[in-house]
Amino acid sequence: MEVLSLIGSGFLVALTPLNIGLLLMGCFVGTLLGALPGLGPVNGVAVLIPLTFAFGFDPTSSLILLCAVYFGCMYGGRISSILLNIPGDEPAIMTTLDGYPMAVQGQAANALAISGVASFVGATIAVIGLSLFAPVLARAAIHFGPADYFALYILAFATIGGIAGVDPRKTLLSALIGLMLATVGIDPISGVPRYTMDNFHLYDGIQPIVALVGLFAISEILLLLEKSAKDRPKAIKVDRWMPQWSAIWPTRWAMLRGSGVGFVAGVLPGAGASLGSFMAYVFEKQKSNGKGTFGKGDPRGVAAPESGNNAAAGGALIPMLSLGVPGSGTTAVLLAMLISLNVQPGPLLFERQPDLVWGLVASLYLANIALLILNLPMIGIFTRLMMTPTWALMPVVAAVTFVGVYGISNSIFDLELMVFFGIIGYIMRKLDISLVPLVLGLLLGGDMERALRRAMSISDGDWSILIASPISITLYVLTVGFLALSVWLAVRDHKQTQAERLTEG
Amino acid sequence: MTGTSVRLFGAAVFAIAALYTLQADTYQITFGDVLGPSVFPIIVGIPMMILSASLVVFPTGTVDWPGRDRLWRQAAALAVFIGYVLVMEQVGFPIATAALIALVGIIMGGPPWHAVALGVVFGPGLWALFDQVLGLPLDFLGDLFG
Repeated sequence: MEVLSLIGSGFLVALTPLNIGLLLMGCFVGTLLGALPGLGPVNGVAVLIPLTFAFGFDPTSSLILLCAVYFGCMYGGRISSILLNIPGDEPAIMTTLDGYPMAVQGQAANALAISGVASFVGATIAVIGLSLFAPVLARAAIHFGPADYFALYILAFATIGGIAGVDPRKTLLSALIGLMLATVGIDPISGVPRYTMDNFHLYDGIQPIVALVGLFAISEILLLLEKSAKDRPKAIKVDRWMPQWSAIWPTRWAMLRGSGVGFVAGVLPGAGASLGSFMAYVFEKQKSNGKGTFGKGDPRGVAAPESGNNAAAGGALIPMLSLGVPGSGTTAVLLAMLISLNVQPGPLLFERQPDLVWGLVASLYLANIALLILNLPMIGIFTRLMMTPTWALMPVVAAVTFVGVYGISNSIFDLELMVFFGIIGYIMRKLDISLVPLVLGLLLGGDMERALRRAMSISDGDWSILIASPISITLYVLTVGFLALSVWLAVRDHKQTQAERLTEG
Repeated sequence: MTGTSVRLFGAAVFAIAALYTLQADTYQITFGDVLGPSVFPIIVGIPMMILSASLVVFPTGTVDWPGRDRLWRQAAALAVFIGYVLVMEQVGFPIATAALIALVGIIMGGPPWHAVALGVVFGPGLWALFDQVLGLPLDFLGDLFG
């Protein structure tokens, strides 16, 4: 099989001493970031990007490091969900529902082991899916013309976060703000400076990395300041760490179902790991909640969401690598790093830089094995480090973000911009407006405009070129379908909350 | 009243989008590609105005803004961040960073002496990591003392 030989060549890239070292470091840091309440995968990877630049690794090694962190976060998030009843990151919310009750009943070791194995199953299935489907999608995408790409970007913006149930207008507005910010700077085609307000710092445009570190990391600190420092959680004491094999084996079908559901959710644009774990949990509950044990410490309620979020995380890499359109917040951040390193993901990436693609895929197989070892026998380390108080952790994280961003550009202006974006990010998060579409708009806006203008040059100003190919028509039909679905869901939720309010009053 | 914050946000975005769209019209060139630099911003600006206006008229969601004491802490943290950015090149990286870590630690509710100790360790520590190990040039003493 062709795929096997490609993966084989990937292992040659992955098994260099540098890449193995980065992989192990990424897995460790990722699990820790996931386990620490407050630092999730998006924040974790965003903070680490400037550091990665500082190290000066080549794109392949940087991507291996950050993807290991990404996968590690997905494994680590469950630890605080189970022991503290606080999700370590957003996708781990569903794991608190049955994981914490299990821990209260003295089943902490089993809950951690089940979720660890479930993470491994989900992530491995997703990497296998990535190896099989990403090249196929990339080959299909070779036929995309500029007009088709324009349609693809429209689809990505229309769907990102769209089925999560929040007001779709807010999500779209966020994407449009991102697109607006992307037009700041000298227009690469005509050379006209746009929206620079005569500030020469803005001639190069807004660096996505600066914006996203501010949006995610600085706003996170502002959000944490709302919480009281006094109510520190107490972790459940664990007497023995050895799990029972007999507790893990009965959850195997829940793991496989969760992986399948999560993987599909991950591949869809704009859904990501949170939706993956949510859908996996709901699906498993409908399927297996015969005795009403879900929510009271059912092991399957731990296995399904954990395999779901890990499978979704891996699945989200597929559209990012093969189309250049990320499927989640963290993959959007990874895309920002690749673009900054002059690597343009998309169908051509598989032809021009197979080392990068397959080196990453091989590394992810290895990362799963490393993470399984870190998360089962060595879990004691993380449960201790997890208790690092916020007042000690976040100031150091803030300092690292400032140095990292300053290190990229040596520009005080960029630091000011970062703080500004932190305030914007905080306000938007308070108003329930997702930041991911904004980041995506800022990242893809330039390409989207270029695709549109190239298409219009080809047709010499005839707008009908945008709907001239079957590919673009299909994409627009999908867009309309997604938008209709998300509007319908939002209206339904709105009516439900109104009905609840009436019955309460 | 519920929705006020969303209305204000919608109004602000509407104003920005309107200015943005108007400004786009001034980017006219007579050569180059067919579409020119002004069309894409208009394509972005007009739906922005429609969506933000609709949020002003029909806001959704409720927002719990923090209490006054929390707002003060957030303002203090922002002041520290901005102060750090402004003085960093003057006083040099280790001192500025030590102060940043100590002050933010105290604002986040850490015991003051512990926070200061953390800053004293990590300020120079991060400088050593970035400047010495990773080779990113960072001012040690700054313009004021250097």
